[in-house]
Amino acid sequence: MAALESPQPAATTTAMRHAFGNVLSVLILVLIGVLAFSIRLFSVIKYESVIHEFDPYFNYRVTQFLSKNGIYEFWNWFDDRTWYPLGRVIGGTVYPGLTLTAGTIWWVLNSLNIPLSVETVCVFTAPVFSAFASWATYLLTKEVKGSGAGLAAAVLLAMVPSYISRSVAGSYDNEAVAIFALIFTFYLYIKTLNTGSLFYATLNALAYFYMVCSWGGYTFIINLIPMHVLLCIVTGRYSPRLYIAYAPLVVLGTLLAALVPVVGFNAVLTSEHFASFLVFIIIHVVALVYYIKGILTPKMFKVAVTLVVSIGMVVCFIVVAILVALVASSPTGGWSGRSLSLLDPTYASKYIPIIASVSEHQPPTWPSYFMDINVLAFLVPAGIIACFSPLSDSSSFVVLYIVMSVYFSGVMVRLMLVLAPAACIMSGIALSQAFDVFTGSIKYQLGGSSNSTDNAEDTNNAPKDDASAGKTDKGEEIVKERSSKKGKKKEREPADKPSVKSKAKKKALVLPLETSIVALLLLIMLGAFYVIHCVWAAAEAYSAPSIVLTSQSRDGLHVFDDFRESYAWLSHNTDVDDKVASWWDYGYQTTAMANRTVIVDNNTWNNTHIATVGTAMSSPEKAAWEIFNSLDVKYVLVVFGGLIGYPSDDINKFLWMVRIGGGVFPHIKEADYLRDGQYRIDSEATPTMLNCLMYKLSYYRFVETDGKGYDRVRRTEIGKKHFKLTHFEEVFTSHHWMVRIYKLKPARNRIRGRAKKLKSKTTSSGWSSKSEKKNPWV
Amino acid sequence: MRSTTTTTMAVKSKLVSLLFLIATLSSAFAASFSDSDSDSDLVNELVSLRSATESGVIHLDDHGISKFLTSASTPRPYSLLVFFDATQLHSKTELRLQELRREFGVVSASYLANNNGSEGTKLFFCEIEFSKSQSSFQLFGVNALPHIRLVSPFISNLRDESGQMDQSDYSRLAESMAEFVEQRTKLKVGPIQRPPFLSKSQIGVIVSLIVIATPFVIKRILRGETLLHDHRLWLAGAIFVYFFSVAGTMHNIIRKMPMFLQDRNDPNKLVFFYQGSGMQLGAEGFAVGFLYTVVGLLLAFVTNVLVRVKNLNAQRLVMLLALFISFWAVKKVVYLDNWKTGYGIHPYWPSSWR
Repeated sequence: MAALESPQPAATTTAMRHAFGNVLSVLILVLIGVLAFSIRLFSVIKYESVIHEFDPYFNYRVTQFLSKNGIYEFWNWFDDRTWYPLGRVIGGTVYPGLTLTAGTIWWVLNSLNIPLSVETVCVFTAPVFSAFASWATYLLTKEVKGSGAGLAAAVLLAMVPSYISRSVAGSYDNEAVAIFALIFTFYLYIKTLNTGSLFYATLNALAYFYMVCSWGGYTFIINLIPMHVLLCIVTGRYSPRLYIAYAPLVVLGTLLAALVPVVGFNAVLTSEHFASFLVFIIIHVVALVYYIKGILTPKMFKVAVTLVVSIGMVVCFIVVAILVALVASSPTGGWSGRSLSLLDPTYASKYIPIIASVSEHQPPTWPSYFMDINVLAFLVPAGIIACFSPLSDSSSFVVLYIVMSVYFSGVMVRLMLVLAPAACIMSGIALSQAFDVFTGSIKYQLGGSSNSTDNAEDTNNAPKDDASAGKTDKGEEIVKERSSKKGKKKEREPADKPSVKSKAKKKALVLPLETSIVALLLLIMLGAFYVIHCVWAAAEAYSAPSIVLTSQSRDGLHVFDDFRESYAWLSHNTDVDDKVASWWDYGYQTTAMANRTVIVDNNTWNNTHIATVGTAMSSPEKAAWEIFNSLDVKYVLVVFGGLIGYPSDDINKFLWMVRIGGGVFPHIKEADYLRDGQYRIDSEATPTMLNCLMYKLSYYRFVETDGKGYDRVRRTEIGKKHFKLTHFEEVFTSHHWMVRIYKLKPARNRIRGRAKKLKSKTTSSGWSSKSEKKNPWV
Repeated sequence: MRSTTTTTMAVKSKLVSLLFLIATLSSAFAASFSDSDSDSDLVNELVSLRSATESGVIHLDDHGISKFLTSASTPRPYSLLVFFDATQLHSKTELRLQELRREFGVVSASYLANNNGSEGTKLFFCEIEFSKSQSSFQLFGVNALPHIRLVSPFISNLRDESGQMDQSDYSRLAESMAEFVEQRTKLKVGPIQRPPFLSKSQIGVIVSLIVIATPFVIKRILRGETLLHDHRLWLAGAIFVYFFSVAGTMHNIIRKMPMFLQDRNDPNKLVFFYQGSGMQLGAEGFAVGFLYTVVGLLLAFVTNVLVRVKNLNAQRLVMLLALFISFWAVKKVVYLDNWKTGYGIHPYWPSSWR
């Protein structure tokens, strides 16, 4: 994996050292790969080999379909089990990268007679790709600041908690492969920029294609790279290498991106991509200027420059005008809601509750940074400064990368994932530089010629590293981290400071011995703390599959397997074509595990449909029954955590149902569910709240559990304890009451006069649907 | 973790209510005889008062109140939406009086712009200032601000608080105020028209300036001597963006968090750090953002600048200081994080070591 540097023919000792360093780098990289893979296995060891959470269930279902029916069936797959009655074209609306990757791995393994199940392949795809990602980080950082920084960055990335959170075994989601694709694309861009080779430029376009296949976050690449190109041009760093790195990427990359069905013509029609085209034009104008400058005498050039610049300006203005006209003609300015909320952070919270409601779209607070990148947050500024001394094309790119990603991560906590590689690269550079300076000072002052010390260190290093390979996890990581720093230092010296002059200069640049030792110890402590934190985060915080819950109490471990219990109940006790309604969070799981048709799912493409379900959940029983009945729903599923204290249940998500429902059907008003601006379900709750379907389905018969109806999540007794259901009947409640399934009662026979009476009743209870926008389902 | 975020039942901090001394209600209600002529006179007077103001908010004093409200017989031909203001409380930012007053003006101006003709004379926006018309405050029984009251045509007893605007009605500023008005008066306020951020002539000036400046800028770029070529500027910008983001400032902007809170138990004490990881206060974010940034800056200072210093003792002293500050900063952040999130981060030792 490691691209080996060609040995210098200066002396045999140097060549030997160099070769030794390369072997060591490869060994370290292998260990880093093992580390990256194994730190993500906590979820399998602590729980079981199971797919996690929500989206991965959908990806798993798609992969199953792909492995069973083949690729052509997959492209044409129309899924009628979801978004009833609309259905969803899976092949055209899904990023196929992850599915195709796992499908290919499964197919290769099977043709090698290794009979793994699709699920096993899916579970372990993410850990495998995180090993790839750390190798890609090594390559990228090596291009920027040498292989020492590369190794440091790779080991940091192998265990950065932010990335672990999305790539533990079982977390089978797009990001698992996309982060690798992201880093690898950046590496190839930098490589092309450094070498000016068309070969790498082509590879770069292909890597970009893989990224487009994998994740919607590819827009980050197609905006970051043009920004860097523009930055280079503006700061006078234009070179033919820049042109080779950029122009093929835009042309090939856009053509390839348009091949992915989910992107299609968006690749040329949406504003997210316009920056790249604009810069494409600018770089051609600039290239032309440089070309003319080359063939003309300085005097002639001065005359020509006025002409060229004015023509170029006119062309630019025309193009800008066209773009502005195009953008202005679309209502959102051609930007998708998610991108807009990045540019104007308050946009989503004001206008799009469906985006604002998703937990991963919240802005993070400072503890999030400490949790997700830990001590790297301290090291990044040093890395930024190291990149400025001296500033090169490649180091300016990583600076731009960290600045953009850190800003975006501040808007949406989900983008912390994009920040993590940048933070690792920066911290790797900072650590590498710091270790360089401190160990250099120590070595210089301990006396002796630098050569003999270096040799002594080499021999010291090798056994240490070999021994570390066999040791247990923690000690190994610390030692390896330390030794990787040393390995890097050895490599850097010949690579970065070849001349005698710079070596002499370096000797003068020393720090006092004892403070250097103290600083070194403190840095190692910082690294050790990072390792402890990452292992803890991997083991405790990010390994829970959230489909199986556990809790540790005095009398041992409790396992809550209610979700699978209820999905199994659904698949065994209901008709295969029955429709199940639930909040969108549980849509993917219901289709994947219970194989039943759902109304809405986690692919939140149709706001109105979701708002309809939200409206039903916020309505009184009869109105809800009518909405659900009009959607052919047979069963309603609610998740309730009040008995065991599971906080992310439907009652806690209920305000969003109200908000989203009210956004489309204005007779649902958030204020009706709040008492003095506070959301409560106790005796102070509003009558609207106590009569809505969600309250009733969650708390039906709840008082029978303890006689008081004490809700352990809200820490209060519920407001309305004894009530009967008129239009729904309870058919299943799981062991810990976490999932409750209700069946819609069949419609009653019409009795004269009764309908009229009911109607007047509902209107008197503040249900004025007549004057407002009418709900189409009622 | 793609799922709906959950709501916690955090108790919102209530607005500080301010007590006014309530004197006995001594002013008698003057009996008034009215006919349609005097009604239209009053309306005409209100219209002329309104046209004299900029946003259409009529400034009433005690005299005006008695003239248009107490002495006018019910049903009056108009509703009044009264904003109760107190200049002496403008310094208390948590009351948001000035902001609300501005928004009130926006609603008034939008109402005026959207309702010409007879509809426009059914609702008037007024304000009363505390220092000038204390007796009116007593008349209305207002003892806490912010207070906005709709006096509908049928209300004769001004102490009737049914027309009061709840906190939730002005929480979303002009939009929710307009909703309140539409609900209560059945009048259409229409779309809220906020004054544009830049007026048209300003935009024109800016665009022309840009157009004129472009050739010069390009010339300088080609020569390579702009500010943009200064590395230090880029460096400072990058570090600032980093500081800005890790401090969670975007969170504070989006959620409109204050810099600090007042302790509920002890009003003199200020709370700078909020326990619980879902929220943070402004000062808290900046403090930790500073700690995050300072360690890296010191490290960079030591490795880039300090190594060039010749004096060994100075190096030693500065480095020890830098190490001490860094150590303290990391320790502080770890402590604060554990305190705020309640996580117990612990290493895993081999079981045989226990």
